[in-house]
Amino acid sequence: MLNRLEFLLSEAFASLRRNTWMTFAAVTTSAVALFLVGGLAYTYWRVDAYARSLPSKMEMRVFLKEGVDQAGIRETAQSLRKIDGVAVVVHIPRDRAWEQFQKDLGQDAPAAIGNPLPDAMKVTLSDLDKSKAVAEEASKLEHVEPGGVQYLSEEHEFISQTLRLLGWLGTGLFVTLVPTTGILIYIAIRHAVNARRREIRIMQLVGATNATIAVPFLIEGCVQGALGGLLATPALYAVYRLFSMTVQGLFATSEPAPFPALGVIAGLMLIGASYGLLCSFLAARRPLKLT
Amino acid sequence: MGSPVPDRKVTPYIVYDKVEVQFNQWVYGLRDINLTISRGDFVFFVGRTGAGKSTLLKLLSREVQETAGHVWFQGRELGTLRPRDIPFLRREMGIVPQDFALLPTKKVWENVAYAMRALGATRREVRRKVPEILERVNIGHRADSFPHQLSGGEQQRVAIGRALINNPSLLLADEPTGNLDAEQSWQIMELLQQLNLRGTTVLVASHDEAVIKRVNRRVVTLESGQIVSDRSCMDAQPA
Repeated sequence: MLNRLEFLLSEAFASLRRNTWMTFAAVTTSAVALFLVGGLAYTYWRVDAYARSLPSKMEMRVFLKEGVDQAGIRETAQSLRKIDGVAVVVHIPRDRAWEQFQKDLGQDAPAAIGNPLPDAMKVTLSDLDKSKAVAEEASKLEHVEPGGVQYLSEEHEFISQTLRLLGWLGTGLFVTLVPTTGILIYIAIRHAVNARRREIRIMQLVGATNATIAVPFLIEGCVQGALGGLLATPALYAVYRLFSMTVQGLFATSEPAPFPALGVIAGLMLIGASYGLLCSFLAARRPLKLT
Repeated sequence: MGSPVPDRKVTPYIVYDKVEVQFNQWVYGLRDINLTISRGDFVFFVGRTGAGKSTLLKLLSREVQETAGHVWFQGRELGTLRPRDIPFLRREMGIVPQDFALLPTKKVWENVAYAMRALGATRREVRRKVPEILERVNIGHRADSFPHQLSGGEQQRVAIGRALINNPSLLLADEPTGNLDAEQSWQIMELLQQLNLRGTTVLVASHDEAVIKRVNRRVVTLESGQIVSDRSCMDAQPA
């Protein structure tokens, strides 16, 4: 078994050495593709996680006019729930809000004055992207105080724009770079098959199985993809650092979660290797008559 | 209706039964071939280029499949073999291709070793068996040479040596003297006869009339894909 593995690996690496430039092209393109697509996916994930980690960023407050009765409150809550982008609507009675306000202030709470707070609705958004539209719809409602919709509009806008941009960029790069990488690995393996036509013929003449003949090419594709993943990791770390500095600069928050280096290396190498395996199988299938 | 299955013990080693190979609507490689070969035979397939000599050999190694009729080898009908069984069929025979098919960047011993390694031989087995094989085909003294440093006859010996790695009972040689001078051709034929004397069935596709006459073995002559004569060595004209 070890003996067979040694032969297959030596064949695969001999082929990698022989086609140095094709291998170089396939590896670097894989690295660029994995870095860009992986980097964007990672940034998207971090921004999204950041948005979700701060519940207030997914919420808005809708203050009602003075003296709205129970029927008006119910009607407003129902209308808010019907707006696209709204997940949950909770009524916050003015008495409870005042109680909470006093509790939060403690000794500093003004005792002598009456409750100045209106009834309000806590609206949790299902989609950050729709916060502006929700705010506009909510402010049109009959019992809502003019200017009574409060939310972190600038941050919502920034985060949602960032996510949208990342989504578009990611899709664009995925659609262009992933097939390009696949084609390069495919060409590299086809080239290797052609370069090793004599070896293949000899193996076929003496009765080597299809697996013995094909596996070195599959290993070659895997290695190209995996090396691409390995090379993409430092670049991805740079993106992480840049993202961390940007977020800290913008929102003065604490340091984001540490960079999961091992997980990223393993993940990118695994994705690269799987993709390389698929492309090399497609490339070797016809010339080697694999099923 | 198919032909009756030959009994492995009593039937001939190789049987071509009404074999036809049609390459396309108009071109036939072989037509109505009926031929029986016994274990230990030495048979020449002769004829002009395109007569069907190589196709007859390739039917046995399943590089070509018959479009009609049946080919039997050691009691097995080769046309019914599954693709995944073909490598195992080829391990029962040694194939010497027309162009030697040697690896130019590997030394003589490495060429044989490579084929053995492809079949799963360990390094120890390779170290033990390769010198033995090279001695058997009288090329041991050039073990460390590269193919381009060898004469055509020596390259052919290496190709024959590589074909022997599985200790085959059948050797298929396609134009083994095609690119050799008279002296080298005769040396190769002597080598093939030695292997035959040790029990290996040898089938040779050739158009080298001089060598065929000198060797004086069974000769099957083909013309346009059909057998036009089948002479045993007794009938053949000695050199």
